[in-house]
Amino acid sequence: MNARPESAAVPGTSDFDASRRQFLKTSGGLVLGFSLFGPLAAMAEQPATRIPASPSGAAQAFPAVDPARLDAWLAIHPDNTATLFTGKVEQGNGSPNALAQIAAEELDFPFDRLYVVMGTTTSTVDQGPTYGSMAVRYAGPQIRHAAAAGRQVLLSMASKRLRVPVEQLTVRDGVVSVGGDSGHGDKSRSITYGELVDGKRLDMTIGATGKTFDMKVAPDARPKDPSKYTIVGTSVPRKDIPGKVTGEFTYVHDVKVPNMLHGRVVRPYGIGSDLLEVDESGLRDIPGFVAVVRQRNFLGVVAETEWGAIKAAEKLGSKRVRKGPADGQAKWSDWRGLPAADALWDTLRHASGKDTTVAKRGNVDAALRGAAKTLKATYCTPFETHGSIGPELAIADVGKGYAKFWAGTQMPHQARRDMAELLDLPVENVVVNWVEASGQYGRNGLEPVMADAAIMSRAVGRPVRVQWMRWDSHGWDPKEPPIVQDLEGALDHAGNVVAWRHHMWVPTYSDTRLLASELIGKPVGQIHLGDAAIQYEYEFDHADVVSHGEGRVGLITSWMRAPGQFETTYAMEAFVDELAAAARQDPLAFRLKYLKEPRAIAVLKAAARQYGWESRPAFRGKQSGRLATGRGIAWVNRDGSRVATIADVVVDRDTGGIRVKRVVVAHDCGLVVSPDGLRNQIEGNIIQSISRTLHEEIAFDRAHVTSRDWASYPILRFNEIPDSIEMVFVNDSAEYPSNGGGEPSTCPTAAVISNAVYDATGIRLRQKPFRPERVKAALAHA
Amino acid sequence: MPGTIHLKVNGKQHAVEAEPDTMLLYVLRDQLGLHGPKFGCGLSQCGACTVHLDGAAVRSCVLPAAAAEGRAITTLEGLGSVDKPGPLQQAFIDEQAVQCGYCINGMIMTAQAFLDAHPNPSRDDIKQALDNNLCRCGTHMRIVRAVERAAKHWKHAP
Ligand code: FES
Ligand code: FES
Repeated sequence: MNARPESAAVPGTSDFDASRRQFLKTSGGLVLGFSLFGPLAAMAEQPATRIPASPSGAAQAFPAVDPARLDAWLAIHPDNTATLFTGKVEQGNGSPNALAQIAAEELDFPFDRLYVVMGTTTSTVDQGPTYGSMAVRYAGPQIRHAAAAGRQVLLSMASKRLRVPVEQLTVRDGVVSVGGDSGHGDKSRSITYGELVDGKRLDMTIGATGKTFDMKVAPDARPKDPSKYTIVGTSVPRKDIPGKVTGEFTYVHDVKVPNMLHGRVVRPYGIGSDLLEVDESGLRDIPGFVAVVRQRNFLGVVAETEWGAIKAAEKLGSKRVRKGPADGQAKWSDWRGLPAADALWDTLRHASGKDTTVAKRGNVDAALRGAAKTLKATYCTPFETHGSIGPELAIADVGKGYAKFWAGTQMPHQARRDMAELLDLPVENVVVNWVEASGQYGRNGLEPVMADAAIMSRAVGRPVRVQWMRWDSHGWDPKEPPIVQDLEGALDHAGNVVAWRHHMWVPTYSDTRLLASELIGKPVGQIHLGDAAIQYEYEFDHADVVSHGEGRVGLITSWMRAPGQFETTYAMEAFVDELAAAARQDPLAFRLKYLKEPRAIAVLKAAARQYGWESRPAFRGKQSGRLATGRGIAWVNRDGSRVATIADVVVDRDTGGIRVKRVVVAHDCGLVVSPDGLRNQIEGNIIQSISRTLHEEIAFDRAHVTSRDWASYPILRFNEIPDSIEMVFVNDSAEYPSNGGGEPSTCPTAAVISNAVYDATGIRLRQKPFRPERVKAALAHA
Repeated sequence: MPGTIHLKVNGKQHAVEAEPDTMLLYVLRDQLGLHGPKFGCGLSQCGACTVHLDGAAVRSCVLPAAAAEGRAITTLEGLGSVDKPGPLQQAFIDEQAVQCGYCINGMIMTAQAFLDAHPNPSRDDIKQALDNNLCRCGTHMRIVRAVERAAKHWKHAP
């Protein structure tokens, strides 16, 4: 059976604007799903209307969508608006806009009348999680084919209706006409998509094989010739922005469900502490307090009001700074199993795991022995947090035989399966209503918090909205893992690289264990080994690149923007720079000598041209005065997208402060679907990666994370942003299929800044972050 | 114990039942349905919860609701709507100065109070005014441009 009977039931054209306004006005009301995306269609999709309040005790089924049917992807409404349904979700960088552009393009439909419904498991196809800059690359072709199939279906309907062969029809802006290419043809013989479909569902079969990322949709569809694109490649305004700047947009944080309670978690004192006792005295005096939820080491409170839940949780020990395992009315065992902070790097080197050979060429040991000059260096990078400005939140309504969620997860379909496993429910009895959350940049705590809400809702028998406090988010979201990397290189007398060795120790960045599931002793999720997050492309005669992939080391670690590759690019591109400096060669020319791949060469040259690069070796000697200036360059290939970045920095010798002044980015992700959207994403990547490079490090003691707020985990502020970020798009044309842009430009930044600091001062920063104390210490030793 | 608190928000009087020490943010969001102000840290560190109190930008996550009695409270909703955005909101739309948008309430409310007092700011003044507001998406460049654009608009307004 199909899960979307209401989607075609949409008011007529004349009601459109009034309904839309009405819809927007009511967004302060009960349950809203998709705010500005697809007002009318989304209304029909709203959880409130889609999922009736459950008769108590009755099991409910929430069937999945069949990707082989056109209406899994597309609905055309009588007012000639349309809705695209996609399992990909918005994570704060606007990439669904690009998917909508692709659909509008293939349909010959006006972009501003096309709305998008995302993520909800009863309305969308499982196209895999939204991560790894893969939305446009993988979901793009699926949507392109579905929309192209839709256009064919609509044309054959029009052909029957207008009684002319398809070849004599033209489409423009969702209007099919008989006649030539003029676009309008004979007015008396034209019909809108909306009139054609007449409120019916597009329930024809278009075919689909495979699953998630690899799914092929509508194999027989014939997408447009890219040289005819009129919507793809243009900058269209994002539909969500007006709501977001006026407070009318509904985030998951704003959703209210009837009869809903508020929950807060109380985490263990130490990562591995056991819960010994809970003193509940005084809790009942808190207005609105409902219950303590305790299951093994899981502890939470629920109350009628947020304030009541916050106060009750605080009494039990939920606060920014905790003095010990007995600080609060919940007592925990005194667990101290984390490595000492300065022993972290050794711990990483000795953790068990599996080696992956990334490159093996020639005989590195022999080449090192025979070299004129050898260099060795170690690069260290710390734990980092995603640090979403809005802490993680989910609402769960768990009853007998069903579970409903309202969540901002980047993987609603996978989360549905995980929740079913956690709650011992068949998957079809679980639904995830996806509603956008604060930006997440990878796997933050949006899935783990669903488990918290599920456990609390199951315990109290009412819907529970759980929001993490700031310290829950900083303290317990899955982290970017720390990585240690050893490099060795050698030059001959002419300054040519004769040997290159790069060994890295990489804990998992794919630990999807749900924290609460571990706390209740029923683990859900996998701990994978750390992958070789590196793309090695230099052509050195003797090379040995090995990644040692490990499991969990200390904290739960999961992908954060360009996971692992941000760190490996830092080490690789900074050490190449060390070799170039040792050879007294220009760092750009030095790289180009060892690169063959034309797209890599093209981005480096494009960045250099935009910057106005003059050839010279790095570090011209000590600069007089307090402020020293330098330039740095680095590049990356992340899954086929190439990015080269050049930046100017100023180092304040007295304070150790680093300011990045000018940034130039050359970006090749093939054909750019949404130029302004991509620019917005690149600016975000650059600012965030400057922040990660200069400031960010999760500190911990032997028991737990001690960076538990924005004071102990500073991020980049307005006074520190660059004066300019210039961008050049390379290979932005139809011959180069669109690739991802959500992450790649994060990768080069740390190396660029480290190299620029060397150029300015002659010191090498080999450990992130480059906080002033560390820079000052390095300058003092120079 | 809960009591009645009288609040004047966006020009309208409200009587709400709440504990007097409840932070204003929760009253606005949960009881008055105003979702402009957001919970970010509850520690006065990020600015996501910013509202105006008698025209000054304050952090509603650390302001007890009772302390706002008798004062004029303005939220993001008070500056305009999707149908009729205020000039600063319009500038954010024109610059597409949003990624996830979660911090944007704080950016607009802080910048609005600043522009009201400093109608002709330099770029550095704007950065300084926003320096205690955090954005994790890295939308800073566009946010500064949007505030600059709005400031120019006012300068040229009749
Ligand atoms: S939520 Fe109030 S300052 Fe962060
Ligand atoms: S736009 Fe996402 S936090 Fe600023």
